[in-house]
Amino acid sequence: MNAGVYVHVPFCLTRCGYCDFNAYAGLDHLASRYVSALLREAGLAAPGWSSEEIASVFLGGGTPTTLEVADLKALLVRLRHDYAFARDAEITIEANPDTVDLLKLEGLLEAGFVRLSMGAQSFDPLVLASLERLHDPASVRRAMREARAAGYANVNLDLIYGASGERIESWERTLLETVDLAPEHVSAYALTIEPSTPLGRKVQHGVVPPPDPDLQADMFELACEVLGDAGYQHYEISNWAKPGFACVHNLGYWERRPYLGLGAGAHSYRDDRRWWNVRPPEEYLSLVEAGTLPVGGEERLEPSDAYLEEVFLRLRILEGVPTSWVEPEKAAPFVESGLLLDHDGSLIPTERGMLVLNELVLALTG
Amino acid sequence: MTEPSRIRNFCIVAHIDHGKSTLADRLLELTHTVADRDMRDQYLDKMDLERERGITIKAQAVRLAYGEFELNLIDTPGHVDFTYEVSRSLAACEGAVLLVDAAQGIEAQTLANFHLARDAGLAIVPVLNKIDLPQAAVDETRRELAELVGVPPDEVLAVSGKTGEGVTELLERIVAQVPPPTGDRNAPLRALIFDSSFDPYRGVVAYIRVVDGALGARSRAHFMATGLDSETEEPGVFAPEPSPVSALEAGEVGYLVTGLKDVHQVKVGDTITSAGKGRATEPLPGYREPLPMVWSGLFPAEGGDYSELREALDRLKLNDAALVYEPETSRALGFGFRCGFLGLLHMDIVKERLEREFGLELIATAPNVEFHVIRGEEAVVVHNPSEMPQPGTYDHVEEPVVRATIITPSEYLGPVLELCQARRGELLDMQYLSPERAEVHYKLPLAEIIFDFFDQLKSKTRGYASLDYEPTGYEHADLVRVDVLLHGEHVDAFSSVVHREKAAQYGRQMVERLRELIPRQLFDVAIQASIGSRIVARETVKAKRKDVLAKCYGGDITRKRKLLEQQKKGKDRMRRVGRVDVPQEAFIAALRVDQKAEARR
Repeated sequence: MNAGVYVHVPFCLTRCGYCDFNAYAGLDHLASRYVSALLREAGLAAPGWSSEEIASVFLGGGTPTTLEVADLKALLVRLRHDYAFARDAEITIEANPDTVDLLKLEGLLEAGFVRLSMGAQSFDPLVLASLERLHDPASVRRAMREARAAGYANVNLDLIYGASGERIESWERTLLETVDLAPEHVSAYALTIEPSTPLGRKVQHGVVPPPDPDLQADMFELACEVLGDAGYQHYEISNWAKPGFACVHNLGYWERRPYLGLGAGAHSYRDDRRWWNVRPPEEYLSLVEAGTLPVGGEERLEPSDAYLEEVFLRLRILEGVPTSWVEPEKAAPFVESGLLLDHDGSLIPTERGMLVLNELVLALTG
Repeated sequence: MTEPSRIRNFCIVAHIDHGKSTLADRLLELTHTVADRDMRDQYLDKMDLERERGITIKAQAVRLAYGEFELNLIDTPGHVDFTYEVSRSLAACEGAVLLVDAAQGIEAQTLANFHLARDAGLAIVPVLNKIDLPQAAVDETRRELAELVGVPPDEVLAVSGKTGEGVTELLERIVAQVPPPTGDRNAPLRALIFDSSFDPYRGVVAYIRVVDGALGARSRAHFMATGLDSETEEPGVFAPEPSPVSALEAGEVGYLVTGLKDVHQVKVGDTITSAGKGRATEPLPGYREPLPMVWSGLFPAEGGDYSELREALDRLKLNDAALVYEPETSRALGFGFRCGFLGLLHMDIVKERLEREFGLELIATAPNVEFHVIRGEEAVVVHNPSEMPQPGTYDHVEEPVVRATIITPSEYLGPVLELCQARRGELLDMQYLSPERAEVHYKLPLAEIIFDFFDQLKSKTRGYASLDYEPTGYEHADLVRVDVLLHGEHVDAFSSVVHREKAAQYGRQMVERLRELIPRQLFDVAIQASIGSRIVARETVKAKRKDVLAKCYGGDITRKRKLLEQQKKGKDRMRRVGRVDVPQEAFIAALRVDQKAEARR
């Protein structure tokens, strides 16, 4: 079966206020030890994955491009050595515009990272400031030009909408600028307030207003319209791609294919078992350096858990769930009100339906 | 056995917090009824609940030995909900100590109970309490009290329950002024039940005053109102702990282990006589059935707890003869009980005990009174607003009215009158107790009183006014039922019976309040208030447009699944009204009287 490998790099230049990922600023001095540990963990984990063909690798973070090209290259070499890669494996690396230049991009492509995912977030300087992003819109345009110059033919831009103070006009400009740059793939996320983040605390204390869900819904609909008009296919709630450029690696999560996570806090999944590495980088390092798999926890999915995951993940993508899974009277009101499409034996959420997916999942599985 | 000439039966009539329990403590000490080492504050208020609320619910009779005299202190409940119980306790006495806090002055409750005591023919011993307090207005209150009782001011005794000052003199006054009991020890037995309680080991214990004859151990007794016979087990007295005696004779006060197992068989006000030949033919006067005045639906917050609620009510009823309930099915709240209470305090106590002693989580509908719906000759009793028939199907409606006594500092008289007028009151009379304090009597619908009247009265008078009321019957009223519809579906739990003039406004406020409380659904939810078929208010909860997790990658799936499970649990706890999910909290908040009143202001 096809599997994906996710590699987590927990280093960032600064921490953004909205981000609740396992990422740290000021730990750069651990970088070379961390790369060694990743190589070692890849070797430790490999015996369990000998029967899988690796269809994709995704280097995420954090900011993977804070690592040296040579280290990143060594990592890929090690993975190719320990695991059976598909011939056309999709290998993605995330980058912040400010951490790459032409030279680095050429190096990454040469090393085998054929897909580049860039955190653009917005083309409005006010929105970038409110998200505490260091870069400015110009550096996104520059990074994009350099990626093309380096030879990248599969680029994703990440966008965030609905930050405090952002108006629909600003979001429309961001969408149009994005379309202008013509990336092969666009991810557009409604800003989610995570309670454990600095932004979450500001919202809690009333310093920053929480996102307006109706405005975010308007923004979502605008994204559907602008990106659709520009020839992007809306294949997952927050993801659009030119034909043939849907992200293989991420589809793996939604289609419930197995994945192996390497690095601090990374999650793995196979055969209805999910497990995750310890989160703090130092703890991760000491476990791996002692020659043990750095597993911090695990869960076994009961059939009911697996079913719930199957339904809510499948509904995220255009595939939808087979009509036969759901009692007709449960689905009927949603088909009638235009939140679900009953198409060719599958129940597929419409764009309005995607927006209230939690409700749909609860209603269909309740 | 004590000679009647050496018995004095008395009670203490006082407003809450005027120091009755502390004075009783001093009486117990001075008469050595309680040994010093056993003494504790508020000795007679045994129940936790009573202690916390600072009031006494259960009457008790304590025997005090004072020289050659036997003094029986009969404790009376101190709340308007229990007027009937007070009247039965008074009927067991020959005298009343009228106790007034020298810093507070006479309050409405004191006044109401004073009149009850005087009407019952009791000797009144006027006493000022708390004279040790720096803010005590001894002379002024002494004049007020003397005026009320009709004695010269120097006959008003001044005491301090706290320091004990004047308490010995009070004992002398009681002996001198309260007449000994009369009654014929050779006549057939007649004993008044003035309270009862349930003991899990001994069954129902009646608190009694023997009026005629004598009651020995192990005799056959006949309960005249209920018609029951029973083999009684043990007469006794409280000194203050229960101690058995061989017999209770005419003039004496004590308890009787009745041999009965159900508190409803032993009714306050009933007369006990002997079963068989020597029985009395005439019961003692004044008996009546306990009358619920206030009704509310009680529903378990979790539907499955219905049988637990039933069990809890059954157990409470063992000790509370005034509590009545019947099963009720609400489309919105499921299975529960429509419960009748003597008043708001009684209702609060029952709710609190259900929640605290039985660990139940309850949703209570807003309290309402009992209505009489008149159709020709026929009167239908309605104690659930959702059962009130639609206008046009009956001739008229009658509602209970009360005669309310309010005592207020004169400076707040204006706001008090305004409040009573706004609550459909009719001024009966008014007089000044002193230049600073006025006594006002109003006829008011009980429905208005149970609707936060007391809180309003307190807030408009900075807490200084006091209120008492007694039911005076039913009167014609222009009342209509206001219904609330959610997405076209009538929510029975929100129905209310309101005066026609206030109905539309009430409907608007209820609808606005619900708009805040009902979460957005996948469709627009119309919230409407209607009177009959006429919609008087409407609000809309706009459809929810966004409820989705933006990101869901490998490391997110477990957490997102758990979030969905949480959301599912939250949904499962909601009540479904037609297609609309309504959280428990929305019901609780919307049905809370103070908040409805908030909206009404």
